[in-house]
Amino acid sequence: MSSRRNNVRGPTSALTDFLRASVDTFISDLNQPAAGSSNSAQIPDSAEESVPLRRNQRRNRVTTRDEYDSDGLDEPEAPATKKKKITANKPKGKKTGKKDDEDDYEDDDDPYTALSKFGARARPANGSIERCAECEKEFSVSQYTIAATGSGFLCHPCAKKLGNDPFKKPTAPRKRMKAADKRNIVHFEKPRFPTLVSICINIISTHIDDIEAFGDIGTLNMDAISKAISRKRSLNSENVHLFYGSGNTSLTLYDATKLSPTALITLGHLNPNLTTLHLNFCGLISDEVMNSWRSSLPNLVHLQLLGPFLVRVPAWIAFFESHSRLQSFLITQSPRFDLECLQSLIRTSAKTLTRLGLREVGLLSDDFLGPIGLLSGQLSYLDISEPSQSCSNEAVNTLLGAVGSTLTHLNLSGHIELTDDVLQYGILPNITSLQHLTLSNLPLLTDEGVALFFSQWPNPPLTAVTFSRNPKLSTNSLVELLNHSGEGLRSLDVNGWKDVSATALANIATQARDLGKIDLGWCREVDDFIVKSILDNCKNRLTEVKVWGCNKVQGKWVTSGTKTKAKIFGIERAHTSII
Amino acid sequence: MNEDHPMDDAVEGDPEDWVRIVSNDGYTFLLKRKVANMSGTIKNSLDETGGFAEAGTRTYRSQERGIIVQKMIEYMSFKAYYSNVGPKEEIPVNEFMERLPPEIVLELLLAADYQEM
Repeated sequence: MSSRRNNVRGPTSALTDFLRASVDTFISDLNQPAAGSSNSAQIPDSAEESVPLRRNQRRNRVTTRDEYDSDGLDEPEAPATKKKKITANKPKGKKTGKKDDEDDYEDDDDPYTALSKFGARARPANGSIERCAECEKEFSVSQYTIAATGSGFLCHPCAKKLGNDPFKKPTAPRKRMKAADKRNIVHFEKPRFPTLVSICINIISTHIDDIEAFGDIGTLNMDAISKAISRKRSLNSENVHLFYGSGNTSLTLYDATKLSPTALITLGHLNPNLTTLHLNFCGLISDEVMNSWRSSLPNLVHLQLLGPFLVRVPAWIAFFESHSRLQSFLITQSPRFDLECLQSLIRTSAKTLTRLGLREVGLLSDDFLGPIGLLSGQLSYLDISEPSQSCSNEAVNTLLGAVGSTLTHLNLSGHIELTDDVLQYGILPNITSLQHLTLSNLPLLTDEGVALFFSQWPNPPLTAVTFSRNPKLSTNSLVELLNHSGEGLRSLDVNGWKDVSATALANIATQARDLGKIDLGWCREVDDFIVKSILDNCKNRLTEVKVWGCNKVQGKWVTSGTKTKAKIFGIERAHTSII
Repeated sequence: MNEDHPMDDAVEGDPEDWVRIVSNDGYTFLLKRKVANMSGTIKNSLDETGGFAEAGTRTYRSQERGIIVQKMIEYMSFKAYYSNVGPKEEIPVNEFMERLPPEIVLELLLAADYQEM
């Protein structure tokens, strides 16, 4: 029979249907009884006589299909090597020498080979002479002879021409295997081994209602606990109650991301005596929360918020009106805080406000600086860094003229239009008691300008200086800076001063012996000797050295015996292990 | 830490060695180095290439009191054992949690944080 027998179908799966649909077209062309190793047990007459022949046509199976041959499982030896292919291109494999009977069983029942049960013409015995259907030549039938479309068989060369090289290894099977593999995916869910910290936090959360069980906790520890819990963003509405208390006057949460607005309102109610509130990542503070705090936190005078971007202008204004004795107001990241809010703040808390921080406030502009100037005589902390658009020299100078005399902390980072003028005419004449100066990312500052500024400035030595990301600043600036502030410096950040010379850098160790933290990132001339001398000379207080991007640093001071408690960050090619 | 230089056991410390952890109230605990290495801080301090004095004496003096050190060592043993278990085995975390009394859990949290565990 040349017609395909589609009437025999075992149980089929979606995969079988799919393959049948895509492969059918292949098979119809070829219509080889043997190629498909058709299961002809169902096919009546020809079955008997073809069975013995077909047995010879067993070929090697790809063994990975073992698992699907559920029916073949009963057969003692069959499954491993008797896999059938559904694709038409199955060549005749070698006879595997398996027991003949098993062939038939497998033919019948294996659902995955149901496809290959197309009608097979009786196949002549191996060795007999046949005439090729294509070229009419005589050839001897072998194991590998395949049937022609229509009737007859093909000699080997014609078969190859058709593309059915029986000797070619089957590639299709791989496709099959992949599908099989996909089904068999072993899911390796590597459970992250829980840290002791997370286990402890879990226990705290479960026992949160029974706070007394925790015993007595000192206030200093509460801060450390707060940091530990916030580290992995584990602080949530339940375990935050650990930090609440009606007697609390100060509350600092380092990561309030998971506190919903309701939880924040509760915060106000449960800590009525707060004077200081510091929340980081408090994005969920809404107008509602601010309104609730107007009445629930009457004693609040210090407010520091990172990320209160949802609060709208009316809510800010209402809050300021209810809190007219604010002493510090530091917010970072709010696109909504506008001039009206600022004016309201200044108006209500004018007598008491000493610390003002408006970092990354999108609407900051020269206009803002006018009202701030009204705080003359009392402002000690001013941070207006990282604005969306820079303020101008004139406005800043005017402001500094008004408030500079009392400033101890100043941060003007990110105002990219400021030039040396600010130093010469804003800071130098007006500021005389500064301790912390942060002027990062002011690309218009020049080396000479900064050097001149430090050489003339009557201010006492600064404690903390940050001039990072100012690539024009270089040797002269550093020399004068050290001359000016070396004795008092505890923290120095000159990240990005790429051209600073080694001699200037070497001065750090000799002139700034009280350094606690230093950032020398991307100062290309920094090498092992400089770092070693810093480590040796600044023994008292040094805790942190950052040398990111300093390619010459290799850490050789360890082997030369220098020991230090300081942590060193940023070594690229460690000579030995650096702790 | 660098991956380029494989550490010799002889330099870093044989994992089968015994090391000692002393609490601040005088309790001494002896444990194998491979268990002690479960804590980042203790591992570094006992690491002989680090140049810390503790490495020579193989003793780590903890700032915590005895019960806290004991629970930390329990955790380290727990972790050392189950780190090497196959992916299909379940780790009985709950059982371990039951062994931690809530009275000490806050102190333990701070100690664990410091020890990088």
